[in-house]
Amino acid sequence: MIIGSSDQVPRTTLLKRFPIPRNLGVAPESRIGRGKTWPAPAGAVRVKAFEIYRYDPDTDDSPRLDTFEVDLDDCGPMVLDALIWIKNNVDSTLAFRRSCREGICGSCAMTMDGTNWLACTRFISDLATPATVYPLANMRIIKDLVPDLTHVFAQYAMIEPWLQTRTPEPERERPQSPEERSRLDGYYECILCFCCTSGCPSHWWNGDRFLGPAALLQAYRWLADSRDEATGERLDILEDPFRLYRCHTILNCTRTCPKGLNPGKAIAEIKKMVLERRT
Amino acid sequence: MDRQHMRSPLARAMGLGSAKKGVEHWWAERVSAVALIPLTLWFVASIIAQTGSDHATFITWLRTPVATIMMVLLLVALFHHTALGLQVVIEDYRHAGAKFAALVIMRLSCFGLATAGIIATLHIAFGG
Amino acid sequence: MMPTSPAKRPRPLSPNIQNYRPQLTSVLSIANRISGVLLSLAAVVLVIWLLAAAAGPEAYAVVQGAFASWLGQVVLFGCTFAFFLHLCGGIRHLVWDMGYGYELGSIYASGWTVVAGSVVLTVLAWIASLVLGG
Repeated sequence: MIIGSSDQVPRTTLLKRFPIPRNLGVAPESRIGRGKTWPAPAGAVRVKAFEIYRYDPDTDDSPRLDTFEVDLDDCGPMVLDALIWIKNNVDSTLAFRRSCREGICGSCAMTMDGTNWLACTRFISDLATPATVYPLANMRIIKDLVPDLTHVFAQYAMIEPWLQTRTPEPERERPQSPEERSRLDGYYECILCFCCTSGCPSHWWNGDRFLGPAALLQAYRWLADSRDEATGERLDILEDPFRLYRCHTILNCTRTCPKGLNPGKAIAEIKKMVLERRT
Repeated sequence: MDRQHMRSPLARAMGLGSAKKGVEHWWAERVSAVALIPLTLWFVASIIAQTGSDHATFITWLRTPVATIMMVLLLVALFHHTALGLQVVIEDYRHAGAKFAALVIMRLSCFGLATAGIIATLHIAFGG
Repeated sequence: MMPTSPAKRPRPLSPNIQNYRPQLTSVLSIANRISGVLLSLAAVVLVIWLLAAAAGPEAYAVVQGAFASWLGQVVLFGCTFAFFLHLCGGIRHLVWDMGYGYELGSIYASGWTVVAGSVVLTVLAWIASLVLGG
């Protein structure tokens, strides 16, 4: 199922956060303090408050939560529009990644109202008031809403995301039937935004060794590719109590994918392949 | 990442390399789970039926061959599944030293409790 | 290679469980784990119960007395609920392991079924016990 808009995601909210202390297990450098409030410009009629995570590495301050009042009549409907409005009109030091503004580049992935999504495809009206905008969960923060994705990209590189063959290169293309090509549907479309990996509790607790749904979904994309000839070697890389088997089918990944992909299903298919080759 | 770490991000992600095994644990957890579905349902149904019965009635019931066999199978499957499940829980939340001690203690306890339970059942079944 | 500089403070970690929204997916998963751990404690009680039965009527009566106390009944009720939750959740996991039920609609439908099923089965089990036991 490809999600066209965020309206298709179930939305019963019983709890906004797990009922644990806000600073439980949080290291001193990660504690979030109260920040500034930036009021809306005079004469603004439709105003919405956004609580945005701020961190400035050039000062000694700890991370904080700034409140911005956004004039909704002056900016577009998406959360990214609000962030750009804030950066243009209120505080130009607000840092965030963005590029395509249409949900295909994966740059603006962030945690809004406690769920990971792309800021450019999340409607402002879908968020509570005040809306909370945090960077992707469980990431080292470079500045404001910009996470350090070095480790998750290294985990992606580790699964060798390129075609591996032994038979000599054919003169023309490597043939693949439409049915074989269709087995890549739902996996090749991943934009590597890492919403899924960032929302996976197993990756929170064991992210140094567990590959996470993004890397594993891409690993399955190559396992399912009929042109690839290194299936055994790929499964050897993956079959590990931590790299693959920290997945306990929690399925936060499938719940949060902004492209409607299904990392949980991909991982289940990998586990089936691993089982099949030794039975 | 830490500036102090000189290791490349790829090397850090690769760690000690793939163990190239892990499916045995996963499969055993599923097989024991499938076994436990009928065994635990039998157990819950039996103790519901045994509500309010005294010691003699209970012993007579447990002495029947079906009950003895099912109880022994239940203990074997239950403690196997428990050991596998708790191993995963300990590995998730504990790392380094405390993990290994916890794993050893847990595994030996499960083995000991399973043995105690089976011997007790057989004692009832074959005892006077 | 960068020039030596004074040790910089580590980058902060963005909040994970402190801020991420509880969803049916994660809540049922942790409930399955918590019920599993509780059931392992119940397994210990099961062995104690069998040992008491093997030891004789006096030891058995002590354990039965503990079960019959109000605290024992509360604990048993909790164990029954944990059992049915883990059973239904476990079956849901086995279906997933076969590769079925991963569409978002199915995940939510099966999730609510597990919750409702566990409650219903627990209540039925206790009604049956009260009816049969008198």
